[in-house]
Amino acid sequence: MNARDKKFMVGGILIALIIAILAPFLASENPDGLESTAEKVMPNPETEPVVESPLPDYTIPVLGESRVGGSIAMVLGTALVLGLAYGVGVILGRRETEADEGK
Amino acid sequence: MHIPDGFIPFPQYVVYWVIALVALYFSMQWARRELKERQIPLFAVLAAGIFAIQAMNIPIPWGTSGHMVGAALVAIVFASPWAAVLLLSIVLILQGLIFGDGGLTALGANIFNMGVIGGFTGYYLFRALRSAGEIPAVAVASWASIFLAAIACAIEMWIAGTFPLVEGLWMMGLYHAVIGIIEAAITVVVVIAIENSRPDLFKFSEWGEKKGVASK
Repeated sequence: MNARDKKFMVGGILIALIIAILAPFLASENPDGLESTAEKVMPNPETEPVVESPLPDYTIPVLGESRVGGSIAMVLGTALVLGLAYGVGVILGRRETEADEGK
Repeated sequence: MHIPDGFIPFPQYVVYWVIALVALYFSMQWARRELKERQIPLFAVLAAGIFAIQAMNIPIPWGTSGHMVGAALVAIVFASPWAAVLLLSIVLILQGLIFGDGGLTALGANIFNMGVIGGFTGYYLFRALRSAGEIPAVAVASWASIFLAAIACAIEMWIAGTFPLVEGLWMMGLYHAVIGIIEAAITVVVVIAIENSRPDLFKFSEWGEKKGVASK
């Protein structure tokens, strides 16, 4: 990775982290479009997940429903997505060929 | 728009899983063919940003909220709907597995709605409308990507016997018509920002050339 790509990545990661940290503080508590429809048209919209997730609803279980816990969960998630997407890109992506160099 | 477990009965969710896996296969083929090494940082950073911004629900009227999806953004920036399928799959798999956002049985349907329908709508509408002006085309394509994904979701919920057809279509359509405006605004801002900061990675003037279009 050249210096320009590094700078771009650092900038992008910072923006993603700022959004991740702020999300639990700024996000609306209202149900989203699908949940909202479900509440209005279904007699009993509550469902149980088939598999219990480790960080349900972007919370850290030991920290309860706190927003700081939410921020930590979001930062963890953002780092995981970043790493996974980067890894998928490196594993699947195509190597730079000489034909690409000119571009 | 993440469907939880329990909204789609067993034989039906398998159908969406199959569609999602086939789409994921084609998206991996896209990466082999088109995802250049120097685009990987953009791919990874977009995935992280989309994950984060999807958690930021913005209030809309009727006591409801909505969040960005990002499929049209990815499809336009990488000039391929398959890029959106791959990136959204990564985001949706982690959301479902780790955060319980969207059920694991419904993961196939969520990839189908947000990744496939969102990505293809965003890509082909942008391509069709581009000559009328690139920024308006981005706005309309990204708005429609949310709206059509929501309509598809409402129809799936009807087939599943979960929502009544007319009410489901009305509510999902209305809510997501508003959420689509947020999607359009953010997509336009991010596309312009990428074009300005890294014209070597994305430029309207080179859009689709020797990327996506030639190889479908």
